[in-house]
Amino acid sequence: MSAASVSVESVTKRFSGHTAVNQLSMEVASGGIFGLLGPNGAGKSTTIRLIMGILQPDQGKVVLFGSDHGSRKLSQRIGYLPEERGLYKKMKVLDHLIFLGETKGIGRADARRRAQDWLERLGVSEWALKKVEDLSKGMQQKVQFAGALLHEPELVILDEPFSGLDPVNAQVMKDIVVAIAAEGRTVLFSTHVMEQAERMCDRIAIIARGETVVSGTLAQVKEDFGGRHVALGFTHDKQRAERILADRSVVARVDDYGVAAELQMAEGADPEQLLAALVREGVGLRRFEVVEPSLHAIFIAKVGAEAATAHAGEAA
Amino acid sequence: MKKIIAVVRREFVERVRTKAFVISTVMLPVFIVLMAVLPGLMMSGTDHTTRVAVVDASSSGLGQPVSQALQGEKLGDKPGAKARYEVQVFPATGQDLVAVRDGLIAKTGFSRDTHADRWDGVLVLTDHTLASGKLAYYGGNVGAVQSMRTLQRAVSQALAGVRLGKSGVDPALVRQAMAPADMQTTKVSDGKLTGQSGTESFFIAYFMGFILYISILVYGQQTMTSVIEEKTSRIMEVLTSSLTPFQMLLGKVLGVGLAGLTQMAIWGGSVFLISSQRMHLAGMLGMSAEAIQRFPIPSMAPGLLVVFLLYFILGFLLYGALYAAIGAMCNTIQETQQYAIFVTVFIMVGFFAVFSLIKDPTGNLGTTMSFIPFFAPFTMPVRWSLSSVPPLQLAMSLALMVIALLACVWLAARIYRTGILMYGKKPSWRELWRWIRA
Repeated sequence: MSAASVSVESVTKRFSGHTAVNQLSMEVASGGIFGLLGPNGAGKSTTIRLIMGILQPDQGKVVLFGSDHGSRKLSQRIGYLPEERGLYKKMKVLDHLIFLGETKGIGRADARRRAQDWLERLGVSEWALKKVEDLSKGMQQKVQFAGALLHEPELVILDEPFSGLDPVNAQVMKDIVVAIAAEGRTVLFSTHVMEQAERMCDRIAIIARGETVVSGTLAQVKEDFGGRHVALGFTHDKQRAERILADRSVVARVDDYGVAAELQMAEGADPEQLLAALVREGVGLRRFEVVEPSLHAIFIAKVGAEAATAHAGEAA
Repeated sequence: MKKIIAVVRREFVERVRTKAFVISTVMLPVFIVLMAVLPGLMMSGTDHTTRVAVVDASSSGLGQPVSQALQGEKLGDKPGAKARYEVQVFPATGQDLVAVRDGLIAKTGFSRDTHADRWDGVLVLTDHTLASGKLAYYGGNVGAVQSMRTLQRAVSQALAGVRLGKSGVDPALVRQAMAPADMQTTKVSDGKLTGQSGTESFFIAYFMGFILYISILVYGQQTMTSVIEEKTSRIMEVLTSSLTPFQMLLGKVLGVGLAGLTQMAIWGGSVFLISSQRMHLAGMLGMSAEAIQRFPIPSMAPGLLVVFLLYFILGFLLYGALYAAIGAMCNTIQETQQYAIFVTVFIMVGFFAVFSLIKDPTGNLGTTMSFIPFFAPFTMPVRWSLSSVPPLQLAMSLALMVIALLACVWLAARIYRTGILMYGKKPSWRELWRWIRA
């Protein structure tokens, strides 16, 4: 494997009053999809801005493709979708994409051809000659997404790429991200939606309060988290299970979803004992499965209840 | 470089495409033409022959010489020009004067189309006229000041001729003696002829100052607004990842400036076209050639044009960079005002310096101001047009301008770098200083 695409070396960034990123280190190897996870305010966007050279770190350094020239020199190799979406409202969609291509150093004619291809691919080609302000928010996001990918960068950095998209459009974007990774290019994206990250990422880093909490390949993170986990699905008489689930000698932790729950077994406890106890009590079960810990469970366990509340608030 | 061109092109194309640009480009020349032509139209005499009925109630037959004098007047200087007046004399006596006069007045002041035998005016000569010079004129065109003055002058000359003739002076001698004086003014500075008439050099100096004043104010503010727009639309973050602040700043100032220059070129071109075709246009608009000549549309000497354009571009970039930096510091247009006022004051001082320069182009004030980069774009072209500027002074002023421009762009780029991503509260002066040093 060649040099890491992105290497953040104990970077600190302070804003007046608080430290947004504190001694943060992470490495994004080239190829594959890297998920930067964390609750709101964890420093995901600040980290990405530091990587993009939009902000300068107070301490530490960011190395891209093994060189510390900064992203602007290497901007032809990097595509960036910022969290704050923004386009020139009065410009025509096609002209805008051509301009974005040109700022990445692509020739005008080439940029035009690529822009048309992308608009077709994203199913918005009939809007090419409309003004940006006439497009819906979701469509504007797709246009900006295309703008970030127009110059076929080897490293694509996406800050919350799926937020604010309906399921159909999110699916289109996800397919494109997966396709980029399949071509051997590198994708780094941030999200606070764990299910998405779990399905897409090869490697992740969870950060909270500006510090890395866990990082590594998804499998590694799950293995390190350890413990035995059980996914439950209830049909009826769930209340009869409450006493068993509250027994800390059997169940270490419960993540209750009402009709379903994810449990972490206590040290030395046996899932079969648990199943027997539940059946004895007459709890109606739809599902009982010994599983890997979900990223969500890991996230909650690592980041803590405080952040989880903030997260839930955001999701609502 | 390619990226700067992309930014310049975007700024230029997007600006030129707007309705506001098209409208202002078309409307200003129309407005200027109206301003130049309307007073001309209002004040000028007519281009058509005026039918004057001369009621002669004098015992000395005054009607004859007066009507001859009027018939001698032409519309314009060209040979073969139409007669200004068509005159018919109606003899009258003391008793029927009122009847004859009122009969003619009844046929006066109608439009040409409806009454073929109508009169434009009735001139009444009596015995008093020769002695006291008093006579009466009744007409539909008495409000036309210029026409009345022309008519009065013609009648005065006729009366003067008659009076001199009565005293035994040869009529030929009278005509010679009465030939009007025709004064031409030419500007002299430092003992040299500038080749411009007095009106022209004033007009040029004023015109240059005004154009610079307007365009810096309008386009400088546009540069500022467009930076604010980029901040509020949050496009800045995408741009900063691929462009340096210097590329963005320079591209923006150049792009907006180019749009401004294009507009100037269109205006300049139309002024040139109008001035070269003004005789033709005058004919179309129904103005007398004489009237339009009274509104000189001066041509600029090539040397002056070069100096003006040089200072125009430098000044434009200088102020453009300042305005862009202010835009980068603020989040809303309202916020910009308290900073922009300083720049506006500079522009105003520069513009008003033009007036004192017009009065005294070689004075100390003008000389000093043409070395201060913020005022030089206004004052130096005016000095150049009104007096002769030593080449060394010009070179020094230009050098200072370029140094100031580089300093300003550098300063603005420093502010830009930090400011464009600052949302929220605007910086204090101390913070600003930190941005510049960082």
